Amino acid sequence: MIFRAVEDTDLIRQASRGSVESFNLLVSRWEKRVYNYLLRIAGNREDALDLAQDVFLKAYQNLRKLDDPGRFAPWLYRIAHNEAYSLFRKRKPEVDGETIEPEATGQGIAVGATSVFPIELSLAVASALGRLSADQREAVVLKIYQGFKFEEMSEILSCPVSTVKSRLYTALELLKADLAPISPRGVS
Amino acid sequence: MSCSPFDLRDYYLKELTDPQQRQVESHVKDCSACREELERLRLTQAALFSLRDEEIPQRIAFVSDPVFEPSGPRRWWTALWGSPGRLGFASAAMLSAALLISALTRTSGRGPAAGLSSSEIDRRIQQAVYASEARQTVKTTQLVHDLAQKADTEHQLRLVAESDAEYTRKQKYALEKSLNEWVTPASN
Repeated sequence: MIFRAVEDTDLIRQASRGSVESFNLLVSRWEKRVYNYLLRIAGNREDALDLAQDVFLKAYQNLRKLDDPGRFAPWLYRIAHNEAYSLFRKRKPEVDGETIEPEATGQGIAVGATSVFPIELSLAVASALGRLSADQREAVVLKIYQGFKFEEMSEILSCPVSTVKSRLYTALELLKADLAPISPRGVS
Repeated sequence: MSCSPFDLRDYYLKELTDPQQRQVESHVKDCSACREELERLRLTQAALFSLRDEEIPQRIAFVSDPVFEPSGPRRWWTALWGSPGRLGFASAAMLSAALLISALTRTSGRGPAAGLSSSEIDRRIQQAVYASEARQTVKTTQLVHDLAQKADTEHQLRLVAESDAEYTRKQKYALEKSLNEWVTPASN
């Protein structure tokens, strides 16, 4: 993990000096994660792929503006977040960005085709995530699926850590109620 | 509400400092309610992980990917035409080369019109013809001489051979005669 982080940092430095090969390697390392993040907040594979394409293009164009290569991940996800919400606004211009809902929530939340879990559980999770607000769902995706720290989430979402925690913990309470309800004996 | 000294969700998500983590661990050992709460968080997270990451449907087609780049000569050609400065330099270089070649060709003086009059050219041609004819005459004379010498040699060799044959025939005749004279008295 440490070696990987160092390698990424080196690649970012080389890419910012114009090495296309280094940037291509970065893309190959991050494209799956970014795609899945976008898939879970957009709920649509086609949109997620198009957005991912735009994200890496913008990242390449702006890589020299990244002062600290160690902050590459939140910087990249910040671009992804902005691209996704820009798309949502274009589609629903009358809705404010903070309360905007991605298209096809609920049923549109992708269920992994290669899941080793029972399909019923996957559907229950997709349904529970679909009942969250867009902000709450994105907080869950960034923390649980992408493993970012609160500070990094704050940077990605451009909001205070307290707001990030509030969104995430509200979402976790709702998810807990759906996915791990309290049994008569205490734990389901 | 939890009785934990710090938020159990912060503890579960590893957002506390090491001393804080240890305090919560110590508390949870003796608190069944907090243990149950942590178990529900674990179940919720496990359920969320039933949605696996998907493989990206196709690789990000980055515009600067080597597969999209033209070949070396094509890149050079494109760069040449795309840069007025380079194009101007190339044009100037070609013009200079043309002037240089033209100048060298003119000063070589190896053409038919290198300052000679028509009569002088005729005279030189005539001289060359005479010289060539003289060389041919010498060669022909030498050839005839060689042939005559060869014929004479062959004639002499033939005479010697004939002479040898006549001598052999006479010897043979004399020998046969001697034998006959020797055999005839003995039979008498």
